[in-house]
Amino acid sequence: MLIKPSIDILVVENDITILQRCRELLIDEGHRVRTAECIEEALDIIQKHPGDVDIMLLSLELPGWGGMTLIETLQKARREILIMTMSDNCGEEAIEAMHAGAYDCIRKSFTTDRFWIKMNRAIEAFRLRHQLDILTRQRQAALTKVRRDENLLAILQSLTDGFVVTDWQTNIVLFNEKAAGLFDLTEEKALGHPISVSIKSDELLSFFMRAIKSDSGLGPLMVGEEPVVKVGEKALRVHVYPVKNETGTVIGAAGLFHDVTTVSAMDKLKSDFLSMVSHELKSPLSSLLMQISVVLDGLAGDLTAKQSDLLAKAKEKTKGMITLVNDILDYRRIQEGKSIQKIESLDVAEILKRTIELMHLSAEEKGLSLTCEIAEELPSFSGDRGGMEAIFVNLISNAIKYTPKGGNVNVTLNKAGKDIGFKVVDTGIGILPEDIDRIFEKFYRIKTEQTRSISGSGLGLSIVKGIVDAHNSAIHVESEVGKGTTFVVSLPAESG
Amino acid sequence: MKKVLLVDDDVDFCEATKLLLDSKGYEVILAYDGKEGLGKVRAEKPDLVILDVMMPEMSGYDVCVVLKADPELKNIPVILLTAVDQALFKTTYTKAMGLMTEADDYIAKPVEPEELVRRVEDLLSKT
Repeated sequence: MLIKPSIDILVVENDITILQRCRELLIDEGHRVRTAECIEEALDIIQKHPGDVDIMLLSLELPGWGGMTLIETLQKARREILIMTMSDNCGEEAIEAMHAGAYDCIRKSFTTDRFWIKMNRAIEAFRLRHQLDILTRQRQAALTKVRRDENLLAILQSLTDGFVVTDWQTNIVLFNEKAAGLFDLTEEKALGHPISVSIKSDELLSFFMRAIKSDSGLGPLMVGEEPVVKVGEKALRVHVYPVKNETGTVIGAAGLFHDVTTVSAMDKLKSDFLSMVSHELKSPLSSLLMQISVVLDGLAGDLTAKQSDLLAKAKEKTKGMITLVNDILDYRRIQEGKSIQKIESLDVAEILKRTIELMHLSAEEKGLSLTCEIAEELPSFSGDRGGMEAIFVNLISNAIKYTPKGGNVNVTLNKAGKDIGFKVVDTGIGILPEDIDRIFEKFYRIKTEQTRSISGSGLGLSIVKGIVDAHNSAIHVESEVGKGTTFVVSLPAESG
Repeated sequence: MKKVLLVDDDVDFCEATKLLLDSKGYEVILAYDGKEGLGKVRAEKPDLVILDVMMPEMSGYDVCVVLKADPELKNIPVILLTAVDQALFKTTYTKAMGLMTEADDYIAKPVEPEELVRRVEDLLSKT
């Protein structure tokens, strides 16, 4: 029962006339009334009948009065009692009493109307508080019930991941041994206390808040969104989700913590190793490229046609390896979430123009026509310069690579609804429908008679995808084998 | 004939690049570490210096700092050359730039021969 129909009121007043008047008014409206003429008597009633005092109507002019102390004591011990004060003039001490926790003050020279205006408001406030208390207790009971289920506890203890449950005010209601080890939790220190007391990580706390507030639009962590959070020396993969009761109300949050400290260390090692290897590969490849180039250019003596042909192929292969090494480095950066170096307002048209200039040479060498149309007045866009360059270079150079001699590659940049649309259309060999879904996978390369002679790392498009995702953009492919392929990237324009 | 000093500990790279720049009509002097390079700048007074960054004894950065601090040598254009991860290079480069007078250009290895020649020509045409 949430609504309390009648209210228990304790009137504390030594002026018998006022005491009687309050009593009559309240009883007429069906409330239960007790009276006391001094503080000792009032305390006696509160102690003997706990729960039987909802509202206390307390005079501020009692003899030997230590009223403020009484209000403070009651605020600590019996918060559920709502205190209304009465005084001759509702002056300084009334304000002080309200600071200490009293709800309001009634002048003793009240008219019936005035009395009820103030009293009804107090009763309403008490009812609201009372409802809230009941809801609170219901929610807490639902979660603490779990703590009494031994089978469930045994299952939780056997988990190899840390597990912590809080109520909807982030007070810890349950945790398993693994979590105790991870966060140094003890029953006395942690149970019933806010999670922020035991776990010192604002990031973790915010995940719990997000889970609890998931009703109100903030949204919990997405499925698959499992961030790694550093807590002290440990790296933990975290998943926090809302706990709901039968009616779908969020009553708390549960967090699962997977210790990835060693895995993270290995990842770092792997990544450092890749960097080092790439660097060690790049140096000799630089020499190789320079050596082959000068010999090919006849700087080390004349070459026969056959020698030139072989060296030209060797040079292509060397360049292919250099691209591979660069791609590995780029890919590693994206995996480490470093694909975006710096977000700044970009002139995308300018970046594209420069990319096209660079690409013209390779298109000409291959006997292709490379055309570019850039619309005027494009929406403004913020992103990472290097990322945009990488998207343009990869998509355009792919189009050139996979379009046979005599074909066309057409690049356009224009307004597409609210966004900027970047489109590369080629008249190339096309992609089979079954391959389309896989082209963004790393190291995926389509192996056919036609593609055999084309060198590539199989990382280009996965790099593009990584950058597109990091910019909250979208990429779309359409292709017909033998006719050509179209890639479209929509870059979201800045709002406002 | 313009004089170009190339400082790089990779002998193969030096030899091949010398052939390339020779063919473009430059007089090319080689040095294989930072200290030797610095000595040759002082002795030969080249018109341009190409400096590899990662070298034993004295890094390309350090050589560049010394050059740019020397009133007699600071007008010689310097190109820094490195195989270090490009993104990383850009940041460390910018950081190092704060400490020293700017190098005039930098090129990430591997570099296309045509690109290297173009950069060298650009810088020399400015002086």
